[in-house]
Amino acid sequence: MKRSSCLIASAVSVLLLSFLLWPIGVVAQGPIKVGIIDTYSGPPTTYTYDVRDAFKLAIDEVNAKGGVLGRKIEFTTRDDKFKVDICLSMAKELIMNEKVDILMGTINSAGSLAVSEYVKGEKVPFIVTFSKSEKITGEKGHRYVFSITENTAMIGKAAAAGLAKRPFVRYWIAGDDYEYGHALADGVWGNLKKLNPKVELVGQSWWKVGEPELTPYLTAISAARPDAVIFATGGASMVNAMKAAKATGFAEKIPMFIHTATEHSTLAPLGLDAPEKVIGTSNYHFYYPDTPKNKAFAKAFKEAYGRDPKVGALYGYLAAQFIVKSIEKAGKMDREKFIDAMEGMKVDSPIGEIEMRAYDHQAMLPMFMGVTKKVPGYPFLIASDIVTIPAKEVMPSIEEIKKARGK
Amino acid sequence: MTLGVAEVASQFLVGISRSMILFVVCAGLSFILGVLRVPNIAHGSLYMIGAFATFSITKFFPGTTGFWVALVVAPLFVALISLIAERVLFCHLYQREHLMLLLFTFAVSLILGDLVKIVWGAEYRSVSAPPLLKGSVSILGASFPRYNLFLILMGPIVGVALWLFTTKTKIGKISRAAAVDREMVGVLGINVSWVFAFAFVIGCFLAGVGGALVAPTVSITLGMDHTLIIEAFLIVTIGGLGNMWGALVGSLIFGVTHSLGVLFWPQFAIVFPYMAVVIVLLVRPKGLLKSVW
Repeated sequence: MKRSSCLIASAVSVLLLSFLLWPIGVVAQGPIKVGIIDTYSGPPTTYTYDVRDAFKLAIDEVNAKGGVLGRKIEFTTRDDKFKVDICLSMAKELIMNEKVDILMGTINSAGSLAVSEYVKGEKVPFIVTFSKSEKITGEKGHRYVFSITENTAMIGKAAAAGLAKRPFVRYWIAGDDYEYGHALADGVWGNLKKLNPKVELVGQSWWKVGEPELTPYLTAISAARPDAVIFATGGASMVNAMKAAKATGFAEKIPMFIHTATEHSTLAPLGLDAPEKVIGTSNYHFYYPDTPKNKAFAKAFKEAYGRDPKVGALYGYLAAQFIVKSIEKAGKMDREKFIDAMEGMKVDSPIGEIEMRAYDHQAMLPMFMGVTKKVPGYPFLIASDIVTIPAKEVMPSIEEIKKARGK
Repeated sequence: MTLGVAEVASQFLVGISRSMILFVVCAGLSFILGVLRVPNIAHGSLYMIGAFATFSITKFFPGTTGFWVALVVAPLFVALISLIAERVLFCHLYQREHLMLLLFTFAVSLILGDLVKIVWGAEYRSVSAPPLLKGSVSILGASFPRYNLFLILMGPIVGVALWLFTTKTKIGKISRAAAVDREMVGVLGINVSWVFAFAFVIGCFLAGVGGALVAPTVSITLGMDHTLIIEAFLIVTIGGLGNMWGALVGSLIFGVTHSLGVLFWPQFAIVFPYMAVVIVLLVRPKGLLKSVW
């Protein structure tokens, strides 16, 4: 008797519980949840805050109109402190505890690759917003990972395409002595050699990461009198290189190329102290292209946050557009259908229509090559003489991707 | 690559100008080592604070005056911090063994680093040189930044000032005496504790001067303390512990081998200063000049 009543009681409670839980899963359609892991402490915030803020702006607009498919979009952020292990545990936490539908982030390439490996098993879509490693959508690409930012392969191709049109022959390469520096330099040089076989490398200088004083390197390079110098630097070295170029008058004498030299993230902290005539590339400028769409975007961003949008803002906007449009196309929030919808998806953006390449899940971004210039009315330098390098010249070919993936 | 006299000369000058910043910082470090016998790893953090303070002061006084005000006020600010640190923490620890002091000052450097992050944030900061020192001048046809010329001037000024202080003033003489025999100085009825505090503050003031001087040439960022402190200790070691002229010689060796290495053999330039250190230590393990220890 005792045992059977116990059984009945537990059966009833299980039934009751399942009734309690039932409606939450099926009837009440809660918000669609997006989880963002990114570095929200330390120097990378110069870039990551713009991604988050532009994403929020775009999502708020969608939610104000009633959301997508009648559901609001909600997002949660996690700080990975630029550490791979934290990045990965935050990804797990967001998927398991927060039950996010889609993940996005981060600026740390190693972190992105780790999360990418994890979501492959969990079958959760992951949109990479700022990591530059070409492995993400190349060698290590798979069904669940997307990238809406440029990568080292694209930077190399774009820079080579732009530089090949210039009359330089004797080049010097200088940069930060670590993986990103060498990957960037190899990318640019390999492609440039293909486009213009006449180019010759007269010398190289590599300094340790964080080297504070670059003046001796610049004076040494100018002694060799190359036609142009390719700088492969990132982070704090960007500012150091620009400062030394200004102080020594280097930029006036020898044309120098630095990826992101023309980007607002580099030029804003330098104010009017940045050197002129430095050649740079970037995916985005708030003042170019001079279209109503870009103007409206830059204006809305500035009104909301009191600063001009940098390249990260474009990535944040693209992430929001791709997510919203793909859910709409999928018809419901189903992860597999979402991925099918996102493949080949085209969205409108401040820099024109951007396509998500179906084969490797890499957004096809054009690159803008310009030259730094002082322009009255701006308290910082801007890019001038901008040449647009179209996405097809920037993207690695499908064959290259297949080769990288060992197919 | 054909190298003219002009290139070598200008590269040499660039090396000397970098040496001058190292010298200013190392003279302070060496002074503290000599008088207090404290290997102060937090010295680099004070240099970093000097640079960040320079940034804030130039923001507060925009225009031409900002940098010059900062050059005076930032080191004083650093000196004030060091005075507090000395009176609250360091003064209780002078009798401890060196390993303890090393660990302790390392801890202080971590704490100061985090404080900098809390106060100034982690973004890169940039200070512009005053208009007078912007741009470059032509030396034998090679262009040379004006600011580096200014650094070459500042090094000897700081050196001579420190020399006058230690040899001509009473407190300076007492400090030197305390460096040689602290018990004897105490026996003579002098308050050794305050002599030490004073010496510590002078040393840290120099770290602040170094930070202010370096600010316009680099991006001011967290981590600049650790890059510097390793170089600074090497310099002080090869120069002779506690010897101010040793710090000068060490800085010159370090700065000039680096810049000439960059010119002649760029792929391996990183190694040259350290090779110079190894050679000096093999030949003269106690340093080039007389160590006070």
